[in-house]
Amino acid sequence: MRSNSVLALCLSAACARAAAARPLNVVATLPELADIASRVGGDRVKIDTLAHGSEDIHQVVMRPSLVPKLNRADAVVYLGLTVEHTFLPGLLNVAANPNLREDAVKQCAGSGCIDCSEGLSVLEKPSSLSRSEGEIHPSGNPHYNLDPEDGALIARNIAAGLSRVDPEHAADYKKNLTSYLVELDEKLALWRKRVAPLKGVKAVSYHQDVAYLARFTGIEFVGTLEPKPGVAPTPAHLEKLVQLMKRDQVMLIVREQQYAPKLPEWLAQKTGAKVAVIATMGKALPATETFIKMSERNLESLLDALGKAP
Amino acid sequence: MPPRISFAIAALVLASLAPPARAQDFSTADTQSFLKDLQQRVSKLEGAPVKAALSSFNPAIGMAFDAVFHDSNDKASFQFRAAELSIEAPCDPYLKGWAVINGSNSGVEVEEAALETTSLPYNLTARGGRLFAAFGRLAHFHDHELPVVKRPLSLDSYIGNETQADGLEVSWLAPAGFYLNATFGAYNKMGATNARQDNLDARALDEFTYLGRLNAYADLTDSQSIDLGVDSAWSPKRAVTDAAGAVTTRRNTWRTLNGLDFIYRYQPPQGGLYRGLSWGAEVLQNDERRFDASTKLPTDRVRSYAGYSFVEAKFSRRWRGGAMVDLTEDQDDSHRLTKTFTGFLTCEVTEFQRLRLAFAESVVNVPSIPKNHTVALQWTGIIGKHVHGFRDR
Repeated sequence: MRSNSVLALCLSAACARAAAARPLNVVATLPELADIASRVGGDRVKIDTLAHGSEDIHQVVMRPSLVPKLNRADAVVYLGLTVEHTFLPGLLNVAANPNLREDAVKQCAGSGCIDCSEGLSVLEKPSSLSRSEGEIHPSGNPHYNLDPEDGALIARNIAAGLSRVDPEHAADYKKNLTSYLVELDEKLALWRKRVAPLKGVKAVSYHQDVAYLARFTGIEFVGTLEPKPGVAPTPAHLEKLVQLMKRDQVMLIVREQQYAPKLPEWLAQKTGAKVAVIATMGKALPATETFIKMSERNLESLLDALGKAP
Repeated sequence: MPPRISFAIAALVLASLAPPARAQDFSTADTQSFLKDLQQRVSKLEGAPVKAALSSFNPAIGMAFDAVFHDSNDKASFQFRAAELSIEAPCDPYLKGWAVINGSNSGVEVEEAALETTSLPYNLTARGGRLFAAFGRLAHFHDHELPVVKRPLSLDSYIGNETQADGLEVSWLAPAGFYLNATFGAYNKMGATNARQDNLDARALDEFTYLGRLNAYADLTDSQSIDLGVDSAWSPKRAVTDAAGAVTTRRNTWRTLNGLDFIYRYQPPQGGLYRGLSWGAEVLQNDERRFDASTKLPTDRVRSYAGYSFVEAKFSRRWRGGAMVDLTEDQDDSHRLTKTFTGFLTCEVTEFQRLRLAFAESVVNVPSIPKNHTVALQWTGIIGKHVHGFRDR
């Protein structure tokens, strides 16, 4: 009898240790979020990613193979502000994970939801909501992952979220966060100097997703190829854009990688402006696997297009 | 030295000679007052009730409009197909509810009104009420969500329009590294226009329809995938009453409707906005004892088959096009076959507006029945709620 009790105690102790040793299953919607989560989580987390990185962020395919990942996940890390509305709520709806439930407004509801936009100074909040203004995001522009400075906010939110889900290892996450922020700060100091020539440069982008990039670089965006967010370019709008670009002496066209090069190149021919291709998600372009590499590559692309690279 | 600069220097020197204690006193008092003021304002804000009306808990509301100009063998008409109101919201942390109410030329109908659990253990999800049963690939799509203008004849005749059913369904997601989902359901009947059973009558347990479906998925490569489904809807007994209200027979009246479906998708992550291809097919087998429509007397047991296959390609950000073939055996006479060939071209003006042009030719293998040619132009728009559902992806 006594030996049975001892055996049971040993078994439960072993189970408890195994559970404590098991890394957290974390799913990140975007590759650059997966990168930051892996830096902050260290060896305490096992990361899966939903998007490949080369898609349009608004049209990531809802592959059923992503459902088991969300079903097993302890936490999901997402950009928020409804940018993942085409795939995350739909997948969570069928993932049968009580800690990660579909939510029409926040995208995710439950103890495992880590919204990286918490505390963000949101740009371009719509003053009124109407689809006549295109496919606008009700909470404001969600593309803050293009501002290198917002990497710190993302990392802090991930650290806070992981600490909430796994409080036993909060100290580890805090330590990893500090180390990541030191590295990011060094890069930011360097980048702030390098982007100085971009300040005041007039530009247009394909989609209205560059507000945060503009905040960091000082580029003045005066228009978009899309007449309204999410609405494909029309000939009449492009003709007007050509006139605007000539009048305002716009020097730069920013093409997000997911859009076809044909129209930006046509616009460049018409106006003499240069085209810079940027990644709107990690892994969208070569050498953009991490948040830091993506930010660096985007800034270099803008400088290269204007012939201001060192 | 210009006089203006001399004046500025003198002012700075005088300022530096002023008694520091008085300046500090003034500054501290000012700051304290400012902080107190701020503290009072923050307290007011924190203590204030949340500014929300009772309507804040209202469900998300959307409406789909679907209109078709239809010309069949030179007889044309405008068809108001749907003004489909959909509402959805969580009931509590464990349950959500939705309803779809459709107004059309044929009246107003509650198409769906269902509740679904969100927090059951063991990967289970239960839904009940009036819902579109999880049978097949396209059968549970609303009309405006189909890849073609007109619902394939195979689904229309074998299921009876959409798989509308009053009943209960339980789904189970296999706890595996791959996607495998099983669904079990029990309903009064399945199919909005399925007239085999009266939806309102009470019935014995062996007169319900029971469904089982298995759905699996695999990524073949980063850009290619395949969805597979197999299902069976079983109704053990059927009671048919004649004009006098007498039950004709319940013997040998079981019905099975079996289905097999797949969809192959090519969706390149890079350039997915502009390119893609889907190829889907579904085969149905109906096995049932038939009844003469006029006498209500039983006739023979008939096993018949029907199915469709379609290809849809995405050419650009706006344009998609494809073709569908549908083969449907008559459920009373399996030698009588209807073949329908459809070509369609779709323009997604925006995510919320779509135009579709379709041409269809329908042929029955009976010499006396002429070919049917149909041209249709469909215009669909959506306002309000905007969700991307997993089941209708």
